[in-house]
Amino acid sequence: MKKDVSLFIPCTVDLFLPHIGEATVSLLRRGGVNPVYHQEQTCCGQPAINAGYQKEARQAAKHFIEVFGKDEMVVSPSGSCVCMVKYHYPELLADEPEWRRRAEDLAPRVYELSQYLVDVLKVEDLGASFAGKVAYHESCHILRGLGVSEQPKKLIQAVKGTQWIPLNAADSCCGFGGEFANHYPDISEAMVKDKVDNYLASGADLLLLCEPGCLLNIGGYFSRNHPGKKVMHLANFLAGNGRGE
Amino acid sequence: MEQSARDEILRKLKAAPKKGIRSRPVLPPLRELSQTKEELIEKFTKNLVEETGVVLRVPDNQAALDKLTEIIQAEGLKKVMVSTDDVVASLDLPAWGKRNNVQVMTPKDFPDRNSFRDAVFNEAEAGITGADFAVAESGTLALIHNKDQARLVSLAPILHMAIVPLERMVPVYERVTEKVFAKKDQLPSQFIFITGPSMTGDIQGALFKGMHGPRRLIVILVG
Amino acid sequence: MEIKTEQFTEAVKRELQNARSRAFLKLMPPVLHMKRDISLATFPDIPAAQAYGAAIREEAMERLPELLEEFEKNALANGAKVFWARDAGEANAYITNLAKERGVKYVTKGKSMVTEETGLNEVLSKNGVEAWETDLGEFIAQQLHRPPFHIVGPAINVPVEEVCDLFMKKANMKEPTLDPVKLGYAARLFLRDKFHHVQMGITGINMAVAETGTIINVENEGNIRFTKASPPTQVSVMSLEKVVPTMYDALHLIRLLCRNCTGQKLSAYVSMDSRPKKKDEMDGPEELFIVIVDNGRTKIYQDLKARDVLRCIRCAACLNICPVYRQIGGYAYGWVYSGPMGQVLNPVLLGLDRTQDLYRASTLCGSCKSVCPVGIDHPSLFLYYRAKDVLGDPYFKGKKRPWTEERIFKGWSWAVNRSWRWNLGIRMVRPYINKKATGGVIRKLTRSFDGWFRSRDLPPLAEKTFHERWNEINKGKRANG
Repeated sequence: MKKDVSLFIPCTVDLFLPHIGEATVSLLRRGGVNPVYHQEQTCCGQPAINAGYQKEARQAAKHFIEVFGKDEMVVSPSGSCVCMVKYHYPELLADEPEWRRRAEDLAPRVYELSQYLVDVLKVEDLGASFAGKVAYHESCHILRGLGVSEQPKKLIQAVKGTQWIPLNAADSCCGFGGEFANHYPDISEAMVKDKVDNYLASGADLLLLCEPGCLLNIGGYFSRNHPGKKVMHLANFLAGNGRGE
Repeated sequence: MEQSARDEILRKLKAAPKKGIRSRPVLPPLRELSQTKEELIEKFTKNLVEETGVVLRVPDNQAALDKLTEIIQAEGLKKVMVSTDDVVASLDLPAWGKRNNVQVMTPKDFPDRNSFRDAVFNEAEAGITGADFAVAESGTLALIHNKDQARLVSLAPILHMAIVPLERMVPVYERVTEKVFAKKDQLPSQFIFITGPSMTGDIQGALFKGMHGPRRLIVILVG
Repeated sequence: MEIKTEQFTEAVKRELQNARSRAFLKLMPPVLHMKRDISLATFPDIPAAQAYGAAIREEAMERLPELLEEFEKNALANGAKVFWARDAGEANAYITNLAKERGVKYVTKGKSMVTEETGLNEVLSKNGVEAWETDLGEFIAQQLHRPPFHIVGPAINVPVEEVCDLFMKKANMKEPTLDPVKLGYAARLFLRDKFHHVQMGITGINMAVAETGTIINVENEGNIRFTKASPPTQVSVMSLEKVVPTMYDALHLIRLLCRNCTGQKLSAYVSMDSRPKKKDEMDGPEELFIVIVDNGRTKIYQDLKARDVLRCIRCAACLNICPVYRQIGGYAYGWVYSGPMGQVLNPVLLGLDRTQDLYRASTLCGSCKSVCPVGIDHPSLFLYYRAKDVLGDPYFKGKKRPWTEERIFKGWSWAVNRSWRWNLGIRMVRPYINKKATGGVIRKLTRSFDGWFRSRDLPPLAEKTFHERWNEINKGKRANG
C-alpha cells in the first residue's frame, strides 16, 4: 500500500501555474507515494499576513489547519507557503491556545517539495534528463526560511545531461515579495533586473527555482524584456523528461 | 530637574512587562587561548603588519635603543615626545636623545596642559611610549593612561613608536581587562586598545592611514 | 535631523537615477559583507558567537533599568557626572548650557547618532557654539548639509570632485586634488587645528559597562580620542539602550561589532573612560559628563516585541547585505537610521503613521536577520508593524489602511474560508482578467496593478485551475495504474 501524501497547492500555482502542481503529483508518484488532494484547501494566508491583516489571515490559518490537520505528511512546491504554515501560524494563533497547539502539532509535518524528496523519500534521481546548462536561483524563504539549499542542487545535478552553471548572487532576493513588487516597482524592478543580468551573464540555457512567486516575477520580466529566455520550476524540470517544459 | 527625569525614566522601565532571562548559550573558547608564546608573537606580528604596523623584535633594552637610533637617523627626526611610563623610563630616553642629537620632551617638562598640548601638536615629530600589554588576537597594544602615560603622546604626532616587553604579550583582551579593571576604585581615567595606525575609508571607500591619529605605528618587541 | 520618511518613493526614484550612488552600492556593501565573513572565521564557531551576542543584548534589555542604575552608581563613584534626558529638548538644553557656562566657542564632535536624532548641532549653533563634526564622513556630510548615506560611512557615496570643491571652500585646502589620500590630509590639517584648541568635546558612546561605570568608543580615525584627550571638558552622550552588563560582555560585543561592521578584528582605537583625569595627568578631561537619553525608548521598551529593536549595536551588517539598501542607499530612508535597522527603529521612534513605507518596503527576504549579531528578527518586526498599522493601534500611531484595501482583504477572507467560494470567485473574475490578455500574456490590468505591469507580464488565469483539474489529474493516475 502506497503511503498517502497530502498536496498543499499554493494559490499562485492553483490560479496561474497549475502545471507545477501536475508536475508535483507526477514526481511524488515516481517517488513511490500516493498524492492526495484535499479539494477544500484554498490559500495559506500569506498575502494577508504580509499586508498586516492578521484577523483575516487567522481565518485562512484555521481553515488550513482544519483541512490538513490530520495528514501525516503535507508537501508543497513553495517554500514561502511552507514557512507561513510552519513558522507564522503558531505566532498568529498565539492568543487561542487550542488553535496554537494544533498549528504547532502540524508544523513538523509540512515540507517543501525538494526537501521532501531528498530528506524524507531519500530520492535524488527521478529519471529526468536535460541536455543543457542550468542555473539555480535560491529563493529567500527556501534558503533562509527553511535552510533548504543542498536538496534542490542534488536533484538538479542528478538529472542526466545537465551542466550546472554557478549563478552570481544566486542567494540574492529577486524582488518579488508579493505586494512589494506592485507597491515598490522602482526597487523591485531594479532587483529583478540585477537577478536577470546575473542570469544572462551566466550563459545558462535555463533558470531553475523552487518558488512560484519568484517564477511569476522573473518569468514576467523575461516575457516583457527578454522573450525567449526561460525560467522553470524545479518540479517541471524534474517531471519534464528532457522536454524542458 | 535632572532628578525627576531620571526617576521618570527608571520608573517607566521598571513598570514594563518582563520576559525572563534565558541562560547564556555555550561559547567555545578562542583559539589563541591554546597557543604557545611563539605562536602568539607570530600572530601579534602578522595581525599588526596587516594593518601596516611595523613590528621589530630585539633581545634587550640596549638593542631597543639601537633600533630607535636607527629609526631616528633614517627618518631624520629631531624632536620627539616620550611618555614617562616604566618601560620608557627603563631606557632613559632623555640621555639617549642627548647622545643622538634628538630633543626628547616629556609631558612633565611642561608647566601646564596647554603648553604640553602645543608641543605635542606642533613640535613632536614622533611619540614614543611603552605599552602595558600586547594582545595577540588582533595585533593590539593596550595602554593605561595616567600621569606617566599622557593620551596625546601616542595620538598627536604622525609617528607612534611603542616599546613592548614580550612578557606583556597575552592571547586575548580579557587577560588585559581582568587586570586593568580588577579594582573598581582604581580604574584608570582612560584605557585604550591600539591596533595599527589611524585609518579611514570615508571618501569613496578608499582606505588610507593617518586620518587624525598617527599615520605610522612602529612596535619594538623586547625579549 | 529633519524627518523626510514620508518622501520615500520620491527619494527612491531620485536615488535610483544617481549613477555615483549606484556605483558605490554595487561595490562597497558586497565588499564589506565579504570582509565580514572572512573576519568572523576567527571565531571557532560563528553561529555560537553570534548567538552569544544576541544573548548578551537580550539580557541587557531585559535588565535595562537595573543595569542603568548600576552603571550610574559606578560612574558617579568614579567622579563622572550623569545627566538623564527624557527627550531631545532636555538633552540639547543641558549640553548647550554646559558649553555656555564654560564660555566654549566651539566643540569637536565624535560621531553620535543620538545627537543627530536630537538635532544637537543646530541648537548649539543657535546658541553661538559651533559644533564641528570630526569623523571624516560626518564632517563632509555636515558641511554639505546632507543626511548620512550609510551609518558607518556617512558620506562614502560623495564623489571626490564634490569633496574637493567642498574642501577648497570650507577646509582651507590650497591645491585642488581628486586623490582621496590628499583630500584626507587636507581634512586632517583643518580639523587638527580644531582639536588643538578645543575646550569641550562631545562624543557618542558605543557601549556603557554597568559593572565598572565605563564608557567605550570604537573608532578608526582618532577623532574621538582627540575629542576625549585634548579638551578639559568631555560630554559623552548615549541612548539608554547602550548599556551592557559586564566588561567581558562588552569585549565579546566589540569583537562582533568590528567584524560585522568593517571586517576588522578590532578597530584602530577602542578607548574606555571610567572617570575624569586624575590631578597629575597632563591631558584628558577635568570634567566628564555622561548624558543618558530616552527620546522615545522607554515607550518602545513597554512593548515586548518592539523591545528587541533596542538590542542593535549599529554594526551596519544588515545594510551591507540588504538587497533593498543596495539599490537605494541611505538617503531614501529619510532619517538618522537607514537600512533594515532604520526600518525597524525609525517607525517606533517617529510613529507608524510617518514611516508607512519604511516597514513595507521589504520583500522579507530575511538576509538582515541572518547576519544580525544580536539576533534582531527584522522581517518579523516589519510584519508586526504592518499589523499594528492595519489595526490603527494608537500606541505606535498606526494609521489604518485605505478603505479600498480593507475591502479587498475582507473579500479575500470570505473566499479563503470555503473552497466553493474560492472557486466561484475565480470563475467570476477569470473572463474579465483574461480578456485583457494579448499574445498569451496579460500586459495590463487596472491602475492599481500598474506597479507590476510596468515591466512585467503575467500569465493569464489558468483555463482550469488546479482545483478544477484535479479530477483529470487523478484519473490519469488510475489509468496508468
